[in-house]
Amino acid sequence: MKNNLGKERHAKNAVGILFVVCSIAIFDVAYSARNSPPLSFPLTGRASGQFPSNWIHGSKSAMDNTDPAIQVHAYNEHTYILRENKAINYEGAFMYLFFGNGVAMLIDQGSTSSPALFPLREVVDQIIRGWEEQHNQANTELIVANSHLHGDHYAAWNQFVDRPNTVMVGLTHEEMMAFWKIENYPQQIVTYDLGGRELVVTGTPGHQGSELAIYDGWTDLLYTGDMFYRGRLYLEDWDAWVSSIRKLRSIADRYPVAHLVNNHIEMTRQPGVDYPIGTTWQPNEPPMQMTLDMLDIAVGATNDIGSPGIYIYDDFLIYNQIPWYTTTDP
Amino acid sequence: MHNNLYLLLSNLDHVVIRTAGCRILIWALFACLFAPVTSSAHLLNMTELHLDSTHPTSATLKIKIDLGQSLMTAEEYWNASTSDVQEQSIIIKEIADEIKSGVRLTVDDRSVDFELHAWSLEASSLEAIKNPFSPQMAQLVFDLNSTMPSEGSVEIQIGEQLEVPWPALLRMDHASSPLPISRLLTESERTSRPITFGNYLETPEEELSAKAVLAIQTLVPGLKWIALGFQHIIPKGLDHIVFVLGLFFLSTGVKTLILQVSCFTLAHSLTLGMATFGLVSAPGAIVEPLIAASIICIALDNLYSESLARWRLMMVTLFGLLHGLGFASVLSGLDLPRENFLSSLLLFNIGVEIGQLTVLMMAFVAVGWMRSWSQYTERVARPATISIAGIGTYWLINRITFI
Ligand SMILES: [Zn+2]
Repeated sequence: MKNNLGKERHAKNAVGILFVVCSIAIFDVAYSARNSPPLSFPLTGRASGQFPSNWIHGSKSAMDNTDPAIQVHAYNEHTYILRENKAINYEGAFMYLFFGNGVAMLIDQGSTSSPALFPLREVVDQIIRGWEEQHNQANTELIVANSHLHGDHYAAWNQFVDRPNTVMVGLTHEEMMAFWKIENYPQQIVTYDLGGRELVVTGTPGHQGSELAIYDGWTDLLYTGDMFYRGRLYLEDWDAWVSSIRKLRSIADRYPVAHLVNNHIEMTRQPGVDYPIGTTWQPNEPPMQMTLDMLDIAVGATNDIGSPGIYIYDDFLIYNQIPWYTTTDP
Repeated sequence: MHNNLYLLLSNLDHVVIRTAGCRILIWALFACLFAPVTSSAHLLNMTELHLDSTHPTSATLKIKIDLGQSLMTAEEYWNASTSDVQEQSIIIKEIADEIKSGVRLTVDDRSVDFELHAWSLEASSLEAIKNPFSPQMAQLVFDLNSTMPSEGSVEIQIGEQLEVPWPALLRMDHASSPLPISRLLTESERTSRPITFGNYLETPEEELSAKAVLAIQTLVPGLKWIALGFQHIIPKGLDHIVFVLGLFFLSTGVKTLILQVSCFTLAHSLTLGMATFGLVSAPGAIVEPLIAASIICIALDNLYSESLARWRLMMVTLFGLLHGLGFASVLSGLDLPRENFLSSLLLFNIGVEIGQLTVLMMAFVAVGWMRSWSQYTERVARPATISIAGIGTYWLINRITFI
């Protein structure tokens, strides 16, 4: 120790240290203001959202349709639901875009390949740009995923193959399972971290053998793809569907569910009455989202139905392993 | 919704049954819908291509296609499916030739031919073939005329002259790849573009650098662990860098510096080793603020000491133990291999030491050569030490309030 160290020296040191602390603090605050804090997706509580009162539902004449090719609806600030114009393809498929920190996941790519008719990539890019601006995010990675492997759910997949910063999950069962890290399909239930947003994912075959259901713990939405929606539930494997629908019920027991969401609307608002296949104008279509009561009716159906056939319920029709030539004529 | 089995008619029938009064209305609706629908309904019967080379010497190309809605009329397809084997083979061979001339398979820039090997025709009835909602698919299996290489690139193109129901899903299986590869060919994008498989690398430079990395790794297997250790100092170990600089700016000779760094290194290797064996552990909430405090201590001691006090060596050793604990949390995330745990731990430590020495060497290069300057202490060491104390203080406040 220096014996003759004056008070002045102490003061100079202290001021110097304080100056450095303040400088770093100012720099740090300025820097972190530039990089906004990460978005949080808490599992407790429920991030609410809105469905449109009516989806755009086609037109009398497909030729005269002036609606956008893709309807974009923000369910909430980090959840987008897209619908393909029914005048472009009667499937009127819904597609989902979930955002997490630094990442977006597009589930399904509609029923039309042509970018001229159905500019899905352009629309998705636009949504991502807008979202980045709004939430101070940059370089968002896009994951192109699918609910199941039917062509009307991935027709525009190819629009994304050369997109930079993009993960293509792939259009084979093996690629899908490798991506989600599902080793034991369909039983296994896995959680997937989408940039801090926890998704619970499990196999739900029955309609198609690679189908997945996705539960989003932040919004409490349970996405059921084509295995449960307001329409004709075409089931190629009845036993698999029974297990899947019961598993959805057990997931709903374990996690709070706000709505069940899916990919098509084929019913009318009249209970038990559907629009014929190929309909491109559905002025009287019910909402897309479904309730747990409807799921319970489906669970009940798994106990009632014992043989192939068409079974009519208020909110959906079950087409259980019906060969094309079967009719319900007496 | 998508199904291969169900016919519009069955659906309409049951609608009609339930709402018999509306029978006419529904048929009218159907009639006006049918025209625009038929074109887009082709999605149900999209084409599938499967290039299977899991056995490279007997690779096959399977094509699933709705022939009755594309290359043949529904009647022709129905006739073919109901005729005897010999007649059927003549018809299908003709179709196969059409497909062969339209589908181009390129392996490593040379065209590969394939021959029809087997086929099966699905045909429930003429109506089913005609109806776009009940696709009746034909499957044609072709054998490739040459062996698939263990690595290379493959491209499949569907020529403009061949109209298949779009889109066309391509699945490729290859012996070298645990997962299949999928592509989608569309009417406007009729090529898969080159798909590489095996260890095939596209450009020679890439090949060279990858080979260099591989060569070094096989020569010095421990290099990875040394590199990881080094990276935990530069650039990831800012705490460490600042602390070591704190030791450096105690304005005494090189000998005392080496003495301090050695004590510090030995101490933190000890706790690091013990922590990785699970013998000691401490929560980050305690260790992290203490590390910040140790930086302040060293800096303040620099400001008020002129020579290396004996107790300072003790202090540095103590701080070394502390920093080792801080490192342990990083190391536990490293997944050290179980089979040669000790050697990789040692190599990791060597990497850490090389990192520390690099910091000191850089400090020497930057300011160390000025040590004999009479103003060195006032103009260089003091401001640097005050900065180090400031950084430590900032970290301390930050870590106490945010951890
Ligand atoms: Zn489907």
